[in-house]
Amino acid sequence: MTLIVDPSQYRPSDTGEARPMLSRDADSMFWMGRYVERAEHVARLLRVHLMLLTDVGDLTPVLEHQMWLTILSSMRAGKEPEGSDPVSVRISRYMTFDPSNPSSIVSCIARARENARAIRESISSEMWECLNGIYLWITSEEAGARFEESPDEFYAHIMNSSMLFQGLTDQTLAHDQRWYFTQIAKYLERIDVTARVIETRFDVLSKMGAQLDQPIRNIHLMGVLRSCCSLESYRRQHLADLEGRRIAEYLILQKDYPRSIRFCVEQLHRATAGVRVSNGQHVPSAPERIFGRLEAQLEYASIDEILAEGLNEYLTRIEQAANEGSAALQKSYFLY
Amino acid sequence: MFEQYHVGNVFDEMFIEPGKPRRHYAPIFQRLSDMDIDAFERRRRMADVLFRNQGITFTVYSDKRGVEKIFPFDLVPRIIPADEWELLERGLTQRITALNLFCQDIYHEQRILREKIIDPYLIYAAKSFRREMIGVHVPKNVYIHICGTDLVRGIDGKYYVLEDNGRTPSGVSYVLENRAVMKRVFPAVFNQYRVRAIEDYPYNLLHTMRYVAPVHAIDPTCVILTPGIYNSAYFEHTFLARQMGVDLVEGQDLVVENGFVYMRTTAGLRRVDVIYRRLDDDFLDPLCFRQDSVLGVAGLMNAYRVGNVALVNAVGTGVADDKAIYPFVPDMIRFYLSQEPILENVPTYICAREEDRKYVLENLDKLVVKSTNESGGYGMLMGHQATESQREEFREKILKEPRDFIAQPVVELSQHPTFCDGTNVISGDGSRCFEGRRVDLRPYILYGEKVIVMPGGLTRVALRRGSLVVNSSQGGGSKDTWVLEDEEQS
Repeated sequence: MTLIVDPSQYRPSDTGEARPMLSRDADSMFWMGRYVERAEHVARLLRVHLMLLTDVGDLTPVLEHQMWLTILSSMRAGKEPEGSDPVSVRISRYMTFDPSNPSSIVSCIARARENARAIRESISSEMWECLNGIYLWITSEEAGARFEESPDEFYAHIMNSSMLFQGLTDQTLAHDQRWYFTQIAKYLERIDVTARVIETRFDVLSKMGAQLDQPIRNIHLMGVLRSCCSLESYRRQHLADLEGRRIAEYLILQKDYPRSIRFCVEQLHRATAGVRVSNGQHVPSAPERIFGRLEAQLEYASIDEILAEGLNEYLTRIEQAANEGSAALQKSYFLY
Repeated sequence: MFEQYHVGNVFDEMFIEPGKPRRHYAPIFQRLSDMDIDAFERRRRMADVLFRNQGITFTVYSDKRGVEKIFPFDLVPRIIPADEWELLERGLTQRITALNLFCQDIYHEQRILREKIIDPYLIYAAKSFRREMIGVHVPKNVYIHICGTDLVRGIDGKYYVLEDNGRTPSGVSYVLENRAVMKRVFPAVFNQYRVRAIEDYPYNLLHTMRYVAPVHAIDPTCVILTPGIYNSAYFEHTFLARQMGVDLVEGQDLVVENGFVYMRTTAGLRRVDVIYRRLDDDFLDPLCFRQDSVLGVAGLMNAYRVGNVALVNAVGTGVADDKAIYPFVPDMIRFYLSQEPILENVPTYICAREEDRKYVLENLDKLVVKSTNESGGYGMLMGHQATESQREEFREKILKEPRDFIAQPVVELSQHPTFCDGTNVISGDGSRCFEGRRVDLRPYILYGEKVIVMPGGLTRVALRRGSLVVNSSQGGGSKDTWVLEDEEQS
């Protein structure tokens, strides 16, 4: 078979240069990615939390209450919802189904879908159908029934859907700037949540300090790792030795583990450079410089120095830098 | 499933008389008759799921519950034999050619007015007449690049043109999606026929757009301009953008500088050469038309007038599909082409004319009155079904603004077997079965380097029993439309 070649049909795009992307599309791409990642984090936090409560058995009401509040503060979800139900029911429902709560899973999925709908022509059909499917499911009666029956399975389903969506994003989208924007969104969101999980959980742990005996303490430490989807890989690195210092080191500085902050920052640096290259520019962009500097900082950091500075202070600095990078990104590419 | 089927005294697309299908419907009639009703129902649900998951929806403005709805889809296809289609194709080609010549004439020499074929009053009083377009040269002299013409069949089985949609006709995405879904849920039935393919429509549409690109554009950038995600046809806009691989832009994405149109990209501004705009003239450019429009692009008309950007369809084509101009299309065909019209119009009374108005007012109970400024089945009076007070209301409106109304005799649209599932479509006795429902047909015509009539179209169904209104905004559904290949040629 021969391909028909007509020289008059030759187009500049045939040189393989990527087409530039509408700023508004980039913006929606970014928020779609962020909200999907956020929904996954909320689901994971709630799932791990429910499991943890089963494991530790009876807690004093005050302590249990306090622990539930960490969920809200990890997701910056505002004030505790009111009502007569037990705190566990109130908060898990509020964080799952309440459309008036912008951090609830339903809200995140709805917003991700809304953004996807605005760029329906820019993403693949597979991505759209996956996201639309989750949305239709979570707003259906069946989802409510599944939740009542087994919250654990319910949250697992949400997490798997998010993973499926990310897999489809990787495998059905060209790895050009469209894809890079989804990656930037994902890793920014992950840094944000991971930093806050570390802060709030270690905070609670240090406050409870002496009250906890070893087994319970271990369960809590496992909870921190599980919340960041890192328990199994941590064990492979450090065996089952649960120690606060090592856990913090793992979650912040571990090389090559996709949940560590350092890894996320490396990916941000790569993706921002990718966006710049596909736009044919040669000088590093503003967001790229910020993430590059942050990457170097994490590469040469040590956990002892971090602890000496103060864990919260250090993480706050990282979050600030990530926010600056995010703002620079918006300024460079989205604002119009 | 057809035991109770009632043919009645209208033209039935499938049956000559009860139990006796037309030749081209025989294979599918056999297949459906052999089919178990539950098996059919399963396939119907499968189709619904496919539409829902893909988000193939439209938005209903008055509906407060949920804004997105699936367009109800009936699984029994409408089948058009090759010889019938050949006639339609010729008639539609003739019509779009004449309509384009008319637009060119109206905005330049106005021969048709000077030779007193059309009363100038009707043109100048048309809300869609754009004086800003007078003397403006449009690329390749094409005004209506995309036309969706509504056809109906009367009791005699003859096709009539009900209206030409020469502004921004919608629905073509449903035609393509209906076909895709049909192939998935009824592959065996589909393979029994030799159905002409419609899948190259996006390719043809892109070529139609590139054909009118300004000469300076070597690799023209084509885009679709949408009013945004809350527009009722948003799904279609994204669908076409995806199918053609072009960007879907909103007004805020575009900017005019030095008479050129640019879009805002992550790499800065990029020139845009052809815009398929799914936005009415009124909203296109706040500097030229409605000042309160936030959907359009300031300065777009200037760029258009100097020829730096092409608009598809051109500005001002509404004058050709104005309902009070429609009665003159056969005259246009005679005037510009010196041919006899191949497709007939439905007889129309123009209320602006005194003798017509008199007749209309005397016969309000027998006529359909339509507002010349509305579409989508809004602003209509079905005289024979209306109440006395509704008729009175229209009488006053007509007397006040006669130019805004036309009237036509009730066309008893042809009917087509449609599955009554007891929810969307309810049969006479509430059972699940096939009953006749009224249909129309909207084929899509592209006018670029040559005229291309898509072999198929949107068959819309009035889902309510006895209803003659097929518009999706008024509870209509749709069917796949199969145009058969010529048996002798194959």
